[in-house]
Amino acid sequence: MNTRYIKKLVSLVVVAALAVACGDDLTDTNVNPNEALHPQPDYLLTNAIKASVDTYWGVDNNMNSTLLFVQHLAKIQYTDPDRYRYTNTSFESTWKGFYSVGLADLAEITTLAEESGNDNYKGVALILRSWLFASLTDLYGAVPYRYAIQITDQLAPAYDGQDVVYGGILDDLKTAVELLDPEGDAIAGDILYNGNIANWIKFGNALRLRYALRIADQAEDKAREVITDLQGEPIISSNDELARLVYASSPNQNPIALNFETRNDYRVSRTMVETLRTLSDPRLPVFASPTEATTPEVYIGVPNGLTNDAASDLGLTKTSKPGSYFLRSDAPGVVLSYSEVLFNLAEAVEREFMTGDAEALYEQAITASLQQFGVTNTTVIDDYLDQPAVQYNAANYRESIGTQKWIALFGQGPEAFSEWRRLDYPQLTPAVNGVLAGKIPVRFIYPGSEQSLNGKSYRDAVNVQGTDALTTRLWFDKQ
Amino acid sequence: MEKFVRRICIVFFLLVTTYAWAQDRTVEGTVVGSDGTPLPGANVIVKGTTRGVQTDADGKFVLQVAASDVLLFSYIGYKSIEVPVGSQSTITATLEDDEGKLEEIVVTALGISKEKKSLGYTVQEVKSNQLSEARENNLVNALSGKVAGVRVTNSQGNLGSSRIVIRGETSIAGNNQPLFVVDGLPVDNSQLTKSDASRDFPNAISDINTEDIESISVLKGPNAAALYGSRAANGVIIINTKKGRAGKRGLGIAVTSGVTFERLLVLPDYQNVYGQGAGGEFSYVDGKGGGVNDGVDESWGPKMDGRLIPQFYSNGEAVPFLPHPDNVKDFFVTGHTINNGVAISGAKEGFDYRFSYNNSRQKGVVPNTDQTKNSFSVNASYTLHPKVTLSTSANFIRTESDNLPGTFGKRSTSTMLQFTWFGRQVDINRLKDYKDADGNTFNWNNSYYSNPYWVAYENTVGQRRDRFFGNVNLNYKIVEGLTANFRTGNDLYNDRRKIRIAYGTNGTPFGSYQEIGYAVNENNTQFTLNYKKDITPDFNVDVLGGANYQYRFQEENNQFAPRLAVKGVYTLNNSRDPLQSTNFYSRQKIYSLFASGQVGFRNYAFLNLTARNDWSSTLPSNNNSYFYPSVNASVVLSEALGFASNTVSFVKVRAGWSKVGKDADPYQLINTYPFSVPFGSSPRLTVSDKYLNADLKPETTTSTEAGVEASFLDDRINVDASYYFTRSKDQILNVDVSPSTGYTSKLINAGEIENRGVELQLTGVPVITPAGFRWEVSVNWAKNVSKVVELDKEGFLQSYRLGSDGVEVRAGVGEPYGVLFGSGFLRNAQGQIVVSADGTPAIDPSNKVLGRFTPNWIGGINNAVSYKGVSLSFLVDVRMGGQIYSGTRSTGLQTGVLAETLNGRDAEHGGLPYYFAGDDTGTTPVALADHNASAPNGEIVYHDGILFNGVTADGSPNTTIAPAPLYYKTLAVNGEYNTFDATFVKLREVKLGYTIPSSLTQRVGLQSATVSLVGRNLWIIHKDAPHIDPETALSTSNAQGLEDLQLPTTRSYGFNITLNF
Repeated sequence: MNTRYIKKLVSLVVVAALAVACGDDLTDTNVNPNEALHPQPDYLLTNAIKASVDTYWGVDNNMNSTLLFVQHLAKIQYTDPDRYRYTNTSFESTWKGFYSVGLADLAEITTLAEESGNDNYKGVALILRSWLFASLTDLYGAVPYRYAIQITDQLAPAYDGQDVVYGGILDDLKTAVELLDPEGDAIAGDILYNGNIANWIKFGNALRLRYALRIADQAEDKAREVITDLQGEPIISSNDELARLVYASSPNQNPIALNFETRNDYRVSRTMVETLRTLSDPRLPVFASPTEATTPEVYIGVPNGLTNDAASDLGLTKTSKPGSYFLRSDAPGVVLSYSEVLFNLAEAVEREFMTGDAEALYEQAITASLQQFGVTNTTVIDDYLDQPAVQYNAANYRESIGTQKWIALFGQGPEAFSEWRRLDYPQLTPAVNGVLAGKIPVRFIYPGSEQSLNGKSYRDAVNVQGTDALTTRLWFDKQ
Repeated sequence: MEKFVRRICIVFFLLVTTYAWAQDRTVEGTVVGSDGTPLPGANVIVKGTTRGVQTDADGKFVLQVAASDVLLFSYIGYKSIEVPVGSQSTITATLEDDEGKLEEIVVTALGISKEKKSLGYTVQEVKSNQLSEARENNLVNALSGKVAGVRVTNSQGNLGSSRIVIRGETSIAGNNQPLFVVDGLPVDNSQLTKSDASRDFPNAISDINTEDIESISVLKGPNAAALYGSRAANGVIIINTKKGRAGKRGLGIAVTSGVTFERLLVLPDYQNVYGQGAGGEFSYVDGKGGGVNDGVDESWGPKMDGRLIPQFYSNGEAVPFLPHPDNVKDFFVTGHTINNGVAISGAKEGFDYRFSYNNSRQKGVVPNTDQTKNSFSVNASYTLHPKVTLSTSANFIRTESDNLPGTFGKRSTSTMLQFTWFGRQVDINRLKDYKDADGNTFNWNNSYYSNPYWVAYENTVGQRRDRFFGNVNLNYKIVEGLTANFRTGNDLYNDRRKIRIAYGTNGTPFGSYQEIGYAVNENNTQFTLNYKKDITPDFNVDVLGGANYQYRFQEENNQFAPRLAVKGVYTLNNSRDPLQSTNFYSRQKIYSLFASGQVGFRNYAFLNLTARNDWSSTLPSNNNSYFYPSVNASVVLSEALGFASNTVSFVKVRAGWSKVGKDADPYQLINTYPFSVPFGSSPRLTVSDKYLNADLKPETTTSTEAGVEASFLDDRINVDASYYFTRSKDQILNVDVSPSTGYTSKLINAGEIENRGVELQLTGVPVITPAGFRWEVSVNWAKNVSKVVELDKEGFLQSYRLGSDGVEVRAGVGEPYGVLFGSGFLRNAQGQIVVSADGTPAIDPSNKVLGRFTPNWIGGINNAVSYKGVSLSFLVDVRMGGQIYSGTRSTGLQTGVLAETLNGRDAEHGGLPYYFAGDDTGTTPVALADHNASAPNGEIVYHDGILFNGVTADGSPNTTIAPAPLYYKTLAVNGEYNTFDATFVKLREVKLGYTIPSSLTQRVGLQSATVSLVGRNLWIIHKDAPHIDPETALSTSNAQGLEDLQLPTTRSYGFNITLNF
């Protein structure tokens, strides 16, 4: 044989041997040993709940924005946000957290539930998904909804208007509640209700009530239809059934507690402190801490929207931090409270979406809130309810419900912000040195990254909704 | 000794026998190198004859000559010289290092030595003495200004990392630093870092002891490096360590010793008129808001005119409020490095060896920082059989630090963060005894910071890296011309870090403790067959084929105790909370086959071809094989066309084309689910943020290069010029996507980037005298222009974020690589700056391009003068153009500590008088005619008004006065205002050396002795950026051009002694 052939043959054999020998070996080498190859629905569910409540209750979405807008808190240092000075990255973490963590995990749970036929996982995922999408639209307005969380097909998801989003959510919640069956397959990893499907049904229905009312000013028929449909359905009916994540110790502490571990930027707003003081509200010592330095007033709020210098002049030790109820590392992150349900029912009655005693429901709502915050003495409660300033005024239910709901939602900024915008009460005075020409923000601006990453959809949405500004009124927030 | 005697006998014998040839007389002498070292084994031949001798172990010779004879002295690696005998009876022949082109041998890919003239690409060498005399703790820094086209950036301080890039960035998102190869096999140069530690950990190659380096070859661009595979797309730095030199028989002992001192090179210019506080008021009670503005960490407070104010050290007593101009400077100390090393080398028949030990102890300029390096190295070569040589090299290095200096903007650990918010009245000396008897600390501000000495002494980050690298090399000369070589080498290290935050640190009341461990191992095993033959008298071939197996393993183990249970005990068990732990393992394998061939024609024309195929584990099985070739050619025109003369002694042209494929990082194909910290007893899994790509294909870089090398005037002037063009495509990019897709990023395979550039090297000898005076000038200059051509096929992506800090660093389509993008002034159509309603310059709502971090050109000029044993050299390093964003300037404007914030602060500094109607500070200031005027209703009159020279939205001149603090705080957040030209001209290195004459040294039994005075980074001759050294970076990542409270850079000066026994 010619040597040329031998050489060729040898090299061919070497190459072939290498290629064959390496093939599987190479593929095996590249199996990621650090992460799970296959997801588990219970572990995903734990993460979806934890991560979403963290975002909901956390700094950017709550303390540094919505809680300032509704004047639950005020800033004593770095006051720019309190003066409504934000950049287009200020609201990025809410967008990122809800979409790429919460909703992404829930989508995976849904896929797994469909494969395994566990409708309870599917229903729970659908309820949480509805809550997250509603939270997004409550804050930003139009958001990617129908085309979201589909990376393989939709790299630049179009935005949907609020009417579409709330409509979809209300339908999904109905579906979700129907899917849930306390006798069905068990779910695990549920750190909200510990696998109690009956409570999930109640939570689902409570959300339906919430979002029906959210759109009631714009889509009254739809609201009425949903609430009519809810009659006789189980709904959250005690403070034991709150939808809330009870935090634990480090590293799972409450986001507000976590912030106060290393920072000292927030105080209770003077608006809240003075409102509570005027009403002799027994929740004042719960919501606010006594000032560190002894002061005659004991509880001193900070006006919203001061300049850094002016805020600093008030003194860190002479103003009230939030109460220990909120600063404890195991403080709950509340998603939906019993008192909110009762306020909603009162309003539904007042709007004649259902029958009942609006005033009684209103008083029960306040009672539930007082009890939620540890005020259980019935005399104290009755004395409080008897005050003229607290008594229900059917002629202006928006003011009565708006004011008391605003108090009851203390600490739960996103919901307080939505309800303040919808009910237009209490009437708040804008930040002292605000930069919005005497206005209070009525939405979040979109994260700046959307302009570059999803530009066309963003521009289309802004064209319909109006300028991407803090002061652009959203659809549900009818003038 | 016996050998020595025998050698003397031989010399004597020669002497006698040559005498027998009846030459008329004897001449004796010494052959030395330019540094005065005797050259044993050098050839001394009578020109035109075969008569001659080799020098002995001391470089001495004795030869019979006639007066008319001319002696030809030659030695490998040195230029031959001719000396007419004339009437001389003793001759000292000084041979210069051969940096000429003709016979220069350079080490190329796979450690193969080639004649430089046969190469169709650029290689530039740096010799050991250029590295070891003016030692750099980080080897990478030593290359700055010495090699054309090599851009080195020392991140910060003198104990940190350095980044090196050759010919610009060719990868948009990947590592752009060259591959480091020691003795033929790759070694790691990662900067393993975690931001938690707030330390700029040194890059791994800084472990290498410069004393052990014989030479460094820089192979620029992929042309030179096709044979090294993927990682060579950014060029290769080939390091050859010192060996026991064959031919240099007997025992050689070299001892080196040196001390270097380090001081800060630059600090910000501070103002010394106003102290801590706000609105001109300050009074300390508890440092966190209890007093008047005493939680404020800015210097907009009272004038430091000696007025009486309670301060942090005065227990409530009002004491004089005075400036402390050096309160930052005085915190820093003089650092020093003490370096001692010994090397023993020897050789005998068939066996040579070198052993070295080096110890370097460094104290940093930040108190309580240090680094100790102990390195052992053994090189040995043994001829097992006339045809078989076994050689091995083993290095063990321990790099240890009790505490590295704190960097970055983290309150519990940073150094410069606190100082840029430091009250100008703070007396640093009163902070020195940083804790009381109970172990509690105190500070000038307790809202945000802990005492800087507490931070330095208590919140430490220690590091220990134990590293072994080495290889075994078996060489078998099968038949004449055919050689087989087997080589296997490992680079293995364990790197452990211990991060302590003490109990009582502000913001971390319980302290914390973290341990991070890395284990890195890379093995390369290689087999090659090499065949060389002169086929005809005109043609010779040199072909090589081989296979390589590369396996890389990396492991990371991270444990964190977020809150300590007990004060002062740093173990992971001492935790209040469950430990937070993470692991990361990665493995990667590449199989390769490669071949290269060279055809030479009459020793003046050469054609080189290379080819390589890789099979990488990180790519999908259908795409994991990729092939890449290269071709280059060179012709020595002066020989080919026969025009070599004294005027034009050498001309070579070269050209080449090459392609390099590159794989991905491990685990980039299939999405998996990361774990999070369990919530109570519930484990957590989540969908990854990054959407991976199962269809990845290899990245490819193609490069075309052409160049010319020429020597003129008897090699007095040497020129080497190159032009190159590089295009990298199918880049693997993790691009951001809208989170509404369910992911925040997606891996794509599309980006494309181009680089083109010119490099020039010029060496000239303006003066050389027979008496031995020599002045040599070498210049190198390089310009690289990059352009990001595309990011994704659809054109959906317009920019890719490389990093951000104040401003974004990005790769934008159509832009050069590394553009700084951020906020800037709002300008109208006429280019005038528009002013907001409050009288401050408005910020343009759209971000804009503010510059780019890559320079227009870089260059270095080295002048070396030598006379007899004295040599003096100085290197000037220039980086022209490019921009840097300064976070120090931004923060310093905010805090009012910088000198320029005095402008307009009071009447004396040009401030304008104004008042607020009704004293309502929310209204627009009303100007007053002069500083003595009073306001209409007795309002407070202020004197810190600034009238900015801009226009209002309607184009009319601005008339609104802005108070100085507001004005400067507005400028602080303006990216454009804080971005500067990064140009610098530095006196990089000065060396003054003296080689003690051998006549003296030999009396004390020394072969040679050299002492040198050295200085590095002595002087920034020119820069535009205020307050900082523009040559700085946050880390070695691609996010360059950002300065944010990095440690200042240092200058160093010291001396070295080298003794050879």
